[in-house]
Amino acid sequence: MNLLNCRGLVKKYGSTRALDGIDLTLDAGAPIALIGPNGAGKTTLFSMVCGFLRPSSGEIEVLGSKPGKSALHSRLAALPQDANLDPRFSIGHQLVLFARLQGLSAKQAQLETQRVLEQVELAQTFAMKPEALSHGMRKRVMFAQALMGKPELVLLDEPTAGLDPPNVKAMRNLISEAATEATFIISSHNLDELEKVCSSVVHLEKGKLKGVVSIDQSKSSGYLTLVMAELTAEVEQIQAVLSEIAGVSAVNFNAPNRFLLDYDAASYPQTDQQVMQKISAMGWKYRQVVNGRTLEDQLYF
Amino acid sequence: MLSRVMIQIITIRIVTTLHNIFILARYELSRMFLTRRGLLSLLAFALVWFLVLRYAIYGAAQFFMADSPGGLIVSFFNSTIINNLMSWQIPELAVFWVISLYLLPVFCVALTADQTASDRARGTLRLLHLRTTRDGIFFGRFFGQMLVLFVLVLLALLSTLVLILLRDDSLLIPALRLSFILLVNLLLVLLPYTALMAWVSSMARSARQATLYAVIIWIICSLVTGWLSSRFPGLWGLDKVLPGAQVSGLLQLSGWNTLSLAYLPIIQTGVLLFLGRLMMQRSDW
Repeated sequence: MNLLNCRGLVKKYGSTRALDGIDLTLDAGAPIALIGPNGAGKTTLFSMVCGFLRPSSGEIEVLGSKPGKSALHSRLAALPQDANLDPRFSIGHQLVLFARLQGLSAKQAQLETQRVLEQVELAQTFAMKPEALSHGMRKRVMFAQALMGKPELVLLDEPTAGLDPPNVKAMRNLISEAATEATFIISSHNLDELEKVCSSVVHLEKGKLKGVVSIDQSKSSGYLTLVMAELTAEVEQIQAVLSEIAGVSAVNFNAPNRFLLDYDAASYPQTDQQVMQKISAMGWKYRQVVNGRTLEDQLYF
Repeated sequence: MLSRVMIQIITIRIVTTLHNIFILARYELSRMFLTRRGLLSLLAFALVWFLVLRYAIYGAAQFFMADSPGGLIVSFFNSTIINNLMSWQIPELAVFWVISLYLLPVFCVALTADQTASDRARGTLRLLHLRTTRDGIFFGRFFGQMLVLFVLVLLALLSTLVLILLRDDSLLIPALRLSFILLVNLLLVLLPYTALMAWVSSMARSARQATLYAVIIWIICSLVTGWLSSRFPGLWGLDKVLPGAQVSGLLQLSGWNTLSLAYLPIIQTGVLLFLGRLMMQRSDW
């Protein structure tokens, strides 16, 4: 099913083009990552999909409807980056209101609120006010509101921003569990996290679409990533030694400690073993050898 | 066949929006009666109203009762307004009427300034908009504020009724009849003020900013209409642009005759809600 369809999408703020002619079609399925540096237009695109912002020009269709239309209510859910609950009301009180607006009866709304809070392991916060929660707990409550009802598309804008590692892991697990029910589009700077959760990447830069990349592709053979624990030799020397291995066509260095080997996997399937032998012979201290390349290497190098 | 399906879809959407307006309006009551800030506003209103009741209404009613139509007060002020008020059967309600006409709009502006402003700044509007239309939010909040004002006016009237019955319990029936007329009229007076605050709130990011916008709009409108009146004396309706324009006229009427001026606040409310809705539809969040 066609999830999102953008044609010539432009958003201008004065003379600045936050989005500059985006043509993009996404289908339902596995989670999709939306990445790009600060100011790339990720949040602007999210806000337009949700109907918070109106395009300056171009067209956008979400699940076959224009953003903001009532046909999308309950089908589209989101965790907007800077949206917060009202500090004057309890979390349960506000989530029940959201559920009621989604068409649930008073009793159903109560049950649905309890269900989503249990899903994020925060059932005890029902009667608490948002201010009483830590940043990580607030993010999980915001994630809970996005799971209310049965949304088909869930947008998460920087869901792990500002979270500590245990909360990042908890959030990742929650997304992985919920991703079987709906298609997720996740915007983040944390490429490692996205790599673990998503199957494809929409790459934005300076308001333009740089490309749509499959993460599975990055895991395919043809590349080896060598992460050194310590650089005991000169970078140029390591590159020269690794380049001598049969089948290796290029060795690129990505500071501070990563080497990306480009090799002919079809003709030289034993290359990874030879790399290990070479590391051992040279006495280098390494942390890991990965089959494939990281998302960062794939996108930026 | 296709048009029938379309009509069904449109009907469902209208019903859903009306349902959400009702839910959001009712939620405003809980904002007033279940939150600390709401209860503080209520306490402030109650304290001010107690002072008004004890010293203004009670005191002035005694003063009015001491005189009679055509007596000392009327001859001193030589005013049709005073003469009209003197003709009221229940002086407490006559004084209540005058005080409310000038005091309640001030409360109204203060109470209804934050219809959507702080929710916009906090991003809560985004969470609501994922579940209802902009119209649903805008009108839900507007009717919610009117519901709150209805409760406040009702409480004020009930307290005045108690005061009347303490003096003379045979006045219950006429007092109830008159109270109902006042309730309808006061809500009509408050409608355009609430609509004005709905409009400015849709542009603002805090209650204070909304109030500032309202003051600026009010002053500019007063200056422009004043200038136009002096420049083009024959121009009709300039003195009817601002909310409350009918108040001096209302004081010269009594009973259900007061509704003869109801068209003015209703038209003002329609125009202000149109402007507010336009702003709400076109703004980026």
